[in-house]
Amino acid sequence: MASHVVSPAGRPTDTQTRTPSANRRRRDDTRLALIFIAPAAVGFLVFLIWPLIRGIYLSFTSFNLLTPAQFNGLDNYRRMLLDPVFWNALKVTVEYVIINIGVQTIVALVIAVLMQRLTRSMVVRGIILTPYLVSNVVAALVGLWILDTSLGIGNQLLKLIGIGPIGFFSDGPWVIPTIALVNVWRYVGYTSLLIFAGLQTIPGELYEAAKVDGSSEVQMFFRITMPLLRPILALVLIISIIGSFQVFDTVSVTTAGGPVNASRVLQFYIYDMAFGRFQFGYASALAVALLIVLVIVSFIQYRLTRAGQTDLA
Amino acid sequence: MTTLAPAEVPTSNPPAVTPAPGHKRTSIGRVIAWIVMALIMVVTLAPFYWIIRTALSSNSDLLAHPSTPYPVGFSVDSFKRVFGWQTGDAAIAAGGSGQSINFWLYLRNSIVVACLVTAGQLLFSAMAAYAFSRLKWRLRGPVFAIFLAGLMVPAIFTFLPNFVLIKELHLIDTLLGIALPGMLISPFAIFFLRQFFMTISTEVEEAALIDGASKVGIFFRLILPMSVAPLTTLGVLTYITSWNDYFWPLMVSYTDSSRVLTVALAVFKSQTPQTGPDWAGLMAATLVAALPMLVLFLVFARRIVNSIGFSGLK
Amino acid sequence: MKRIGKIKSVISSARFRVKAVAVGVTATLVAGVSACSGGGAAQPNNVISYWLWDSAQQPGYQQCANLFHKENPKLSVKITQYGWNDYWTKLTAGFIAGTAPDVFTNHLTKYPQFVDLKVLRPLDELPATKDIRDDEFQPGLGKLWTGRDGHRYGSPKDWDTVGLFYNKDMLAKAGVSADRVNQLKWNPQDGGSFEKTIAHLTVDTHGRRGDQPGFDKNHIAVYGLGGLSAGDNMAQTSWSSFAVSNGWQFMDKNPWGTHYNYGDPKLQETLKWYFGLAQKGYAPKYGAFSDSFGGYNQFAAGKAAIVEDGAWMISSYQTIKDVKWGIAPMPIGPTGHRAGPLGSLADSITTNAKNPEAAAEWVKFLSSEACQDIIAKAGVVFPARPQATQLSLQTRKAAGVDATPFADMVDNNETFFLPISSFGADISAIMTPGLQAIFIGEQPVSYLTDLNQQVNRLFQFG
Repeated sequence: MASHVVSPAGRPTDTQTRTPSANRRRRDDTRLALIFIAPAAVGFLVFLIWPLIRGIYLSFTSFNLLTPAQFNGLDNYRRMLLDPVFWNALKVTVEYVIINIGVQTIVALVIAVLMQRLTRSMVVRGIILTPYLVSNVVAALVGLWILDTSLGIGNQLLKLIGIGPIGFFSDGPWVIPTIALVNVWRYVGYTSLLIFAGLQTIPGELYEAAKVDGSSEVQMFFRITMPLLRPILALVLIISIIGSFQVFDTVSVTTAGGPVNASRVLQFYIYDMAFGRFQFGYASALAVALLIVLVIVSFIQYRLTRAGQTDLA
Repeated sequence: MTTLAPAEVPTSNPPAVTPAPGHKRTSIGRVIAWIVMALIMVVTLAPFYWIIRTALSSNSDLLAHPSTPYPVGFSVDSFKRVFGWQTGDAAIAAGGSGQSINFWLYLRNSIVVACLVTAGQLLFSAMAAYAFSRLKWRLRGPVFAIFLAGLMVPAIFTFLPNFVLIKELHLIDTLLGIALPGMLISPFAIFFLRQFFMTISTEVEEAALIDGASKVGIFFRLILPMSVAPLTTLGVLTYITSWNDYFWPLMVSYTDSSRVLTVALAVFKSQTPQTGPDWAGLMAATLVAALPMLVLFLVFARRIVNSIGFSGLK
Repeated sequence: MKRIGKIKSVISSARFRVKAVAVGVTATLVAGVSACSGGGAAQPNNVISYWLWDSAQQPGYQQCANLFHKENPKLSVKITQYGWNDYWTKLTAGFIAGTAPDVFTNHLTKYPQFVDLKVLRPLDELPATKDIRDDEFQPGLGKLWTGRDGHRYGSPKDWDTVGLFYNKDMLAKAGVSADRVNQLKWNPQDGGSFEKTIAHLTVDTHGRRGDQPGFDKNHIAVYGLGGLSAGDNMAQTSWSSFAVSNGWQFMDKNPWGTHYNYGDPKLQETLKWYFGLAQKGYAPKYGAFSDSFGGYNQFAAGKAAIVEDGAWMISSYQTIKDVKWGIAPMPIGPTGHRAGPLGSLADSITTNAKNPEAAAEWVKFLSSEACQDIIAKAGVVFPARPQATQLSLQTRKAAGVDATPFADMVDNNETFFLPISSFGADISAIMTPGLQAIFIGEQPVSYLTDLNQQVNRLFQFG
């Protein structure tokens, strides 16, 4: 149906008295774009870029926050490369991210699809989101209580089915998975809501056509949902991974890095170094390392998932 | 669409669903799906049961009976403490910290801050997202990549410079000081909205352009209305995130005038390194603080679902 | 055609919505900006800002503030309370940005760092506080708060030490008398009467006591000694009192030593015995309870008969229902003496105080008899002045608590200083995971030698 396309000749006065930019079919919107990104750009430069540059500078200094920073070249970086606690922190954080994001993304995807294809109930949606309404710290405290080795109801239930008490927050191998799953509980609703919003952009007609053609739900999921969801899913993954790498509150409330560094994740190590031990220069170097890791991971992800393109429009 | 003769339209077992015993519409697949959903509901709600149980118990009984499944020493004192109706010695005797709580003031402060942040983020991020997805300009790609990098700036870098800046602007201990950094920039919101704007069909836009609309006009009158679903989703999530924000509002506020709910309710956490939190009060505070957010979500839930559906023009 | 119509109707109905959003944004912006009013700017010079973290003590100090204002009508004090975790972060941010309070409650573990960072004002340079003498307070307190340079950086306001809290009913059922528990002895070889007593008090899930045949050390219902923990560089409520009563010293000199002794054999044998109590089942192993459920919680839940805890916890123990408890002093060690770590809080003035002379007036008042007596009557801590301590003991006795074992340890010179030195936070970061490793069994006790070398290296390159 193209009958509505009216040739410019049909309404000459309108085209000529409208904004001059309409004439410039060249379509270079630079000036307009700059106006549109102005407020965000101001915030970006002032609240993100300036601190970033300053932080990178500080990573080459020794700085205790209260006296002027003293330049010390690559000393902080040399120390970092030789620091076993740093490498352990990196390893522990990566473990955490893999478990956390792996479980969270799969469960969130399942929930979002179920919300779209199975039920339209508002109650279900509300329930799914409720863990996000609880603060990080409270979620951690509740987890701590429920999973306490001797006083928690979790282990008492396990005793009923004959499994001995598990030191969820005190036994080296269990600590990171436990913290990861506590955070899955908290964030899966948020993540699934984002994915769900993405699912809304997929036209319902595609599903109906597929049904008539004889596809099952599972086939439709892999052939329609996943490909068309890619831009949003990629976004959700990148965001989740970046957030997951920076886990802090839960660790600080439950294990404080213990037992013996088993849960001393990078962000926790950074904060303690900066505000507990007043070695802000070294903490900045650690943070730069974290930044580099995030940039690499995000870049790889962005490319792998071709998040910049969409199959829809 | 098929052009099969009517006689061939299947009326018996539709092949679209997995084979089911008998002629019922519900297939095994659906049953499994419902079971999975139910399991997820249970796991999601179980800790909440624990929160409610603890909120309705009294602290001294909680210590003596830490793992009984039902409330022990049933009392609603914890809620009284949250609203500021039980203070001083009575509160201390019940295991609380005895601080006075000006609940409604803190609630108002939280609302103002969350509104500022949400409104600012939605508007400014939508504008930027539009520039990155729909406007054509040479530097679009590189600038977007730089904005994305903002997602990865470690929090340790931003806290102190932002704090000093807010102080220099004389915005310490003000609500605007709390809201300002989040209000202007959110790389996540820009990214999120850009992904959505990209899925909007270009045909509608071109139609409007040919009709003589300006790009600005298209943004306000076409793109925004069509993006009500993602905008609402983003708005609700941003609101909740801002509502639950603790560290930055804690740092910026010094007096009650700029104290938000999360910061005020920190009196229920442990005050000294040796004593524990006021468990019952803390759980009650969690429930009370979460309630407005739940209401907000339920009010807007419909918008999140019902998009105008223009993204799928054929 | 239909499409255009749809677009137009959408646009017009959406136009209103967008307008509404725009109005809403403007309104909230205006509201936000107008909410700007209300301070944040510097306090007027005659208002002294004072911070503390212990909410239980706030009412007492508010009374002191009211009294202060009556005696100095031109000055007033504004008290703000933040919980422990937030307190130090806000303080640090305040030092950096210039928004720190005038006076604040300082803690022994944090104060050396602040001295090194030069954010504390020497009290002996201000008119009101330059005459404070060490002998006004319990012995040793004044010295604790004096810096390496001889200046006084904190005016002591209270003191504390540790003792044994015991469950009277459990002891009675086990046939352990109060006299016995007040005279316990320990040694690293066989644990002395201390270990015998806690063994007898330990009960496994089948009801067998720790010193009976068939005792199952892997399934314990009630621990004889609760709250056993790896501790940290100070180990205030865990092993420090045992180690010192064994003849060990933290550093070459205290305060402001530069060489630690964590590798000393006396400490190694103490810890071998101390952590060994958990292996024997008399005390909880690492992880049996999470950190949030320390000695106090275990005691309240009826999972421990005796717990080593500090005098500052007395008011918390008073809230435990249905448990009658008593306090005993720490056991006597191989040296023939007891040892209890002397902790203390003090008030310090910050370098960015706008009116330091007025701040000093307030600090002086806080350590005066008038205020210390008010604090004593509130019954939460032991005030630093000896006389006020007596008053506080009487207050507690009236409430049914006999806290004299604590005061006796001070009177009998049975207390020692917790380690005051530079690099406190770094030392804690080295010792805490190290001690955990030893407690869990990942490392042998000789690992302490290695840890000690790491600690002392800090002073070489400091």
